Amino acid sequence: MKNVTGDLKKDTETLKKLLPAEDILTFEFVSDRGLKFTVVFADPITDKELLGEQVVRALSHFDGKPTAAEVGKHITSPEMKTEKSFEKLAAEVLAGNPVLLWEGMDEAVIAGTKKVFTRAISEPSTDVAVKGPREGFIEDVKTNTSLIRRRLKTGELKIEMLEVGRRSKTFIAVCYLEGTAVKKTVEDIKKKIREIDIDVVPDSSYITHFLASRPYSLVKQIGTTEKPDIFCAKLAEGRVGLIVDGSPIALTAPYMLVEDFQSSEDYFVPPYRATFTRLLRLFALIVAIYLPAFYVAGQLFKLQLFPVKLLLTIAGSIRDIPFSPSLEMLLVLLVLEVLNEASIRMPKYVGMALSVVGALVLGETAVSAGFVSTPAIIIIAFSGIGLYAVPNLIEQTSVLRLAMLLIAGSVGTYGIILLTAFTLLYLVTTENFGTPLFSPFSPLVGRDLRDSLFKYNLGSLPTRPKTLKSPNKRRLG
Amino acid sequence: MKKISSRQIYFFLACVAPVGKILFLPALLAKDAKNDLLFPILAQILVQTLAVFLVLLLSKRGMSFYELLENTFGRIAAKILIAIYGLFLLFAALLPLLEQKLFVQSVFYDTLPSLIAFAPFFIFSAYVCAKPLSSFGRTWDLLAPLAIVGFVGIMLLSAGSADYSALAPAGAAGGSGFLRSTADATSWFFDAALLLTFMGKYEYKKGMAWKGALSYLAGGAAILFFYATFYGIFAEIAPNQLFAFTQTSKYFSGITVLGRIDYVFIFALALVMAFYTVLPLQGGIDCAMEAFGTHKYLRTILSVLINAGFVALVVTLDYQFNDVVQVIAKTLFWIFPIFFLLVPALSFLLGRKRHETA
Repeated sequence: MKNVTGDLKKDTETLKKLLPAEDILTFEFVSDRGLKFTVVFADPITDKELLGEQVVRALSHFDGKPTAAEVGKHITSPEMKTEKSFEKLAAEVLAGNPVLLWEGMDEAVIAGTKKVFTRAISEPSTDVAVKGPREGFIEDVKTNTSLIRRRLKTGELKIEMLEVGRRSKTFIAVCYLEGTAVKKTVEDIKKKIREIDIDVVPDSSYITHFLASRPYSLVKQIGTTEKPDIFCAKLAEGRVGLIVDGSPIALTAPYMLVEDFQSSEDYFVPPYRATFTRLLRLFALIVAIYLPAFYVAGQLFKLQLFPVKLLLTIAGSIRDIPFSPSLEMLLVLLVLEVLNEASIRMPKYVGMALSVVGALVLGETAVSAGFVSTPAIIIIAFSGIGLYAVPNLIEQTSVLRLAMLLIAGSVGTYGIILLTAFTLLYLVTTENFGTPLFSPFSPLVGRDLRDSLFKYNLGSLPTRPKTLKSPNKRRLG
Repeated sequence: MKKISSRQIYFFLACVAPVGKILFLPALLAKDAKNDLLFPILAQILVQTLAVFLVLLLSKRGMSFYELLENTFGRIAAKILIAIYGLFLLFAALLPLLEQKLFVQSVFYDTLPSLIAFAPFFIFSAYVCAKPLSSFGRTWDLLAPLAIVGFVGIMLLSAGSADYSALAPAGAAGGSGFLRSTADATSWFFDAALLLTFMGKYEYKKGMAWKGALSYLAGGAAILFFYATFYGIFAEIAPNQLFAFTQTSKYFSGITVLGRIDYVFIFALALVMAFYTVLPLQGGIDCAMEAFGTHKYLRTILSVLINAGFVALVVTLDYQFNDVVQVIAKTLFWIFPIFFLLVPALSFLLGRKRHETA
């Protein structure tokens, strides 16, 4: 690729040829002593006010030697560098940093006056905390890394920027605490990111696919969080974090399934309360997955599963239902999923109306019309709520619930047991970056159970999780 | 997959292995030994503990099962022996499979053809068998607490209904009754043979043989307690109570109000049992792998073929369970000690000699 020659007209033309888009503008100006400058910049993403103030105005009275070093001294932008390659200069322009060319110089200056579009830092809707920090990540990688840097004021915090995406040139910040994160994990993650060959990276979820050891698996293998406090806590435990530009969802690895049963709030309330809440989440999830399946299996294959009085109630409710128990349950589940999907995407005002239509009109009239029974609606309603006790696993658990329901309708209770066995075996044999997904339960790591589904007092957690194999073991004392 | 840890081996011996002994065997022994049914079980537990101790002691040498056979009997004999061993494990798998099929059919379903009820098990089994034996270790970490919860739950619901004085007076079955029932129980006790196939796949720790033997004894104590409770509840009608652990808890008074809450515990034990029943099949495939090489897809192919074969066998023997018990448990029971006791004992004696002279 060509380099800057010093012939201003020719250099400007070359750069413009590389960047033919209409929103790439050039601006020419002359200093008091007659030195000609040209600025090439991307109109929508360059802060023109800063450009005018820190570059153009600063150089309009330029009277020194026309070298890059001298010109650089006059530019007041704190971010500045020089570059010769047109390819790299074009990339900078596209990133929002204006390129300054002038007559007689075979080097260009890049000024860091990119316009940053950010929304305000707010509490993420998926991870609301009653107690504890309420900040959430936003879409800008620099803002996000600043949120981390503010919490971890140590030189050990490393933030390495990698670029992914042939067209999007998306920045990925690889964050870790040197000496705490396992070196091999850091290197493996960086290697996997460097090997990604993709056109565009619209969101961090694209990256998870490349980091997972079983990329086609339904099982989640990379941790996600929208909160900088959780992100930093995970870094402090020895994990590696990834912040993808354009995504408010940060990634963490290695990931263990138990992480999604923990909430940031668990660390700000008494341990017994945190333990209770975590067990409650597990219970809610188990009930949400299994209740519809056992209800169907019980009706179809083994009525003894129900107590007599409950059996009589169910028998009364389903007497006039035209569908088989499995079809009925599937139908209600499908309606719930449709309502759920629609209510997320719809505008807020319509969403309210939708809830009324969904809950009252559909539910009530479907029962009174004899399409579905009341127990089926109660069970699916409870199951629907239960899944949201662990919101980060909703994609996986909703599919598992459906699979359980289908197997219950076709093979019955033993089918549910076998699918459970199959799922367990699959989960315990899954590992990513050398860390088993089901740890600390399988393989059992006694010490790590203290902060798993159970939560011990902070004083009882003097060391980092053994599963993560951090070289820096102690965190207390 | 990393090696199986010593803890996982203890979990298997103490929690997973006992589950296979509390389904059909209690009724069979109640028929043969009547109120003396604890003695044959105790004898079997002690013999098996000795065999487990021996196998764990052998694992100190850091060899796989095949290497152990090679070291003891030479290369060609080892190939033949491990193939025979694989066949034995497949043979040993038949009774637990049929037993479990009947259990599934009668406990989980009111009306469903037995093939549809049990065929999915072989899909699960084929999946498990396609994985290396070492992947089992982690499942034992999960199955151990599940087995404990299931067993303790069942016992809590059952123990109150038992009249343990039904076990007295001891010795009613006499010496021949004891011998016959001990022989009958042999086909359910071959855990040391399973453990042999795991050799080289778990890490040996100091004192592992003792700890393993103690773990097996702890599991054995739980079995004895269950048998005592079982006979304490049913006494003379115990021989008619097939699938023992699903029967003992149903007389708990709370069940009339809450329904069959004991099913929660039965399901937990059924889950553990599903994994335990697959073990001989997987062990058999592992032996075949050692004997016939390690082609990339051989394990998967064998897994599918063997499981398909067992589906056919189970269908064929659908109504012949009693005949199979007659043949395996009452006639061919002597085969089992050859594999779980004689082979490790010979390896222990001859192999070490060779090892030392080498």
